[in-house]
Amino acid sequence: MKHVIDKWGKSILVYLVLMIVFPFVMPDEYYRSVGIIIGLQAIVAIGLCLVMGLAGQISLGQAAFWGIGAYTSAVLTTKYGLPVGVGLIASAIVPALFAFILGRAIAGLQGYYLAMATLAFGYIVQIGISEWESVTGGASGMISIPKITFFGDSELSMYYLIWGVVTCVLLFSLNLLHSRVGRAFRAIHKSEIAATSMGIDVRKFKLNAFVVSGMFAGISGGLYAHYIGILDPQPFGLHESIKFLTMVVIGGMTSIWGALVGTLLIGSISEALVLMSEIIPGLQGDIDTIVFGGILVLIVMFMPEGLVPRIRTAYEKAQAKKRKASAVETQTVERKATT
Amino acid sequence: MTTLLEVQALSRDFGGVRAVNKVDFSVNEGEILALIGPNGAGKSTVLNMVSGVIPPSEGEIRFSKQPLTKVPGYSYAGLGITRTFQNLQTFDDMTVQENVMVGMHTKMSASLFSCGMNLGRARKEERLMEERAQEWLEQVGLSQLRMSLAGSLPYGKLRLMEIARAMVAEPRLLLLDEPAAGLNHTETADMSSMFQKIRGDGTAILLVEHDMDMIMSIADRIVVLDQGEKIAEGTPREIQENPRVIAAYLGTEEA
Repeated sequence: MKHVIDKWGKSILVYLVLMIVFPFVMPDEYYRSVGIIIGLQAIVAIGLCLVMGLAGQISLGQAAFWGIGAYTSAVLTTKYGLPVGVGLIASAIVPALFAFILGRAIAGLQGYYLAMATLAFGYIVQIGISEWESVTGGASGMISIPKITFFGDSELSMYYLIWGVVTCVLLFSLNLLHSRVGRAFRAIHKSEIAATSMGIDVRKFKLNAFVVSGMFAGISGGLYAHYIGILDPQPFGLHESIKFLTMVVIGGMTSIWGALVGTLLIGSISEALVLMSEIIPGLQGDIDTIVFGGILVLIVMFMPEGLVPRIRTAYEKAQAKKRKASAVETQTVERKATT
Repeated sequence: MTTLLEVQALSRDFGGVRAVNKVDFSVNEGEILALIGPNGAGKSTVLNMVSGVIPPSEGEIRFSKQPLTKVPGYSYAGLGITRTFQNLQTFDDMTVQENVMVGMHTKMSASLFSCGMNLGRARKEERLMEERAQEWLEQVGLSQLRMSLAGSLPYGKLRLMEIARAMVAEPRLLLLDEPAAGLNHTETADMSSMFQKIRGDGTAILLVEHDMDMIMSIADRIVVLDQGEKIAEGTPREIQENPRVIAAYLGTEEA
């Protein structure tokens, strides 16, 4: 913990303050629910950032893990009457198992082939959920999924529960980033040959990253099911997977904070579009898909490293300039890259 | 003197082309063996096979009597073989210190869970890795730059960083693929004395290099390859006088 606080003390403080005060500055309950959904998406995005930004493995099936998590907990609690706590634990384990099996199967794939395989997996899961009617309720879905009542079931308590989980996931990932395992992920991303020659079992660590990201998505899915109370297969398809991908890319793939910032940005734009569609009659339907697609194209063209790394570089340059003007020459090199 | 690495009838085909043909040699404990030859002689291919990057088509490699042919590439570092690369393989988005810390991967064992939760073991290992990395960065003269991103360093410094990264793993055999390429005279001389120190501390070195000054001054023995075959082996003095070697390098008609 000390490690993380040394490194990101200021960012974490800003994050905590914003996160805690948000429900009080917002005018009504509706924005609390928006905050909850953004928190749920942030958990998935951070997981995707680990597998994609750090380990360099693309996944176009992240929404499938999200869906598996959601349905696991929903089915266990609604059909079999298990406690919500048990359902939530299962919603972390079952998607992780799926990720493990899928990861083992596609361990040798790279680039386009990996993208295709995860895309296909996403479709299979969504179709599976729709067709397995006896368990999942098929296309018409499930209703009256029990609510989480550990802290009371108000919108506010739910908000803090979800963002508590986001905070845990965030700290876990930041810790990981600067550890033996995180560096192994990043090493694989840059050079599999060099990583191997340093004793890193590339397949094993790719699989690890994949399983963790599946687990994060599953945790989020389980919470989503119990928050929303109803489920149908529609949100767990390619559309949502691409949305997660866009969040991670906009924020900056290589940065955990980037995943969070990207999620906030996409979430805010979604809301803005909803508001605008109430005023401007033409803005209906899948307008958000077009906007996100456009943003993705622009980012890839003009800012491929993403928002957070770009801002960080600009900030460091400004700092270095300031220091050069005033301070001693030799210390510049030392401090420059304490990112 | 005991044999550390033993290579027997080592061959490698690329498509229909035989890049390395039945090469034998061995590296003894605590010696520097140089592998030289004209461009395309198969030196880097031999090094890639000995470091587990590519499997041999035929032949045997034994490391302190243990056959390596069936051992997966990622196990070599743990057994005590590490390397540097001719075309640098650095992790540009990590700091210099982090790059070197990756070199200690096999010495540590903290799990993903332990790292994410930053448990005692992960913290302890992290401190140890930092200390050891700093020691080696001092040895190669990069401690001033340890917090810089590797991507911002010039070529020559990155070569030194790769050596530090290979050495923190405390290998018994260090494989160097053209470490002096692109360095100036002083840098090469510094590097030579560093290799002698590494040998003195008990690590054997297998060196692929074009810089003859470096080879003649530090190699205990030299193996010469030409067009995938071994054409000579001996001390630097013997090799300098060997007519086949001279022919291979100068392209004179063979006697």
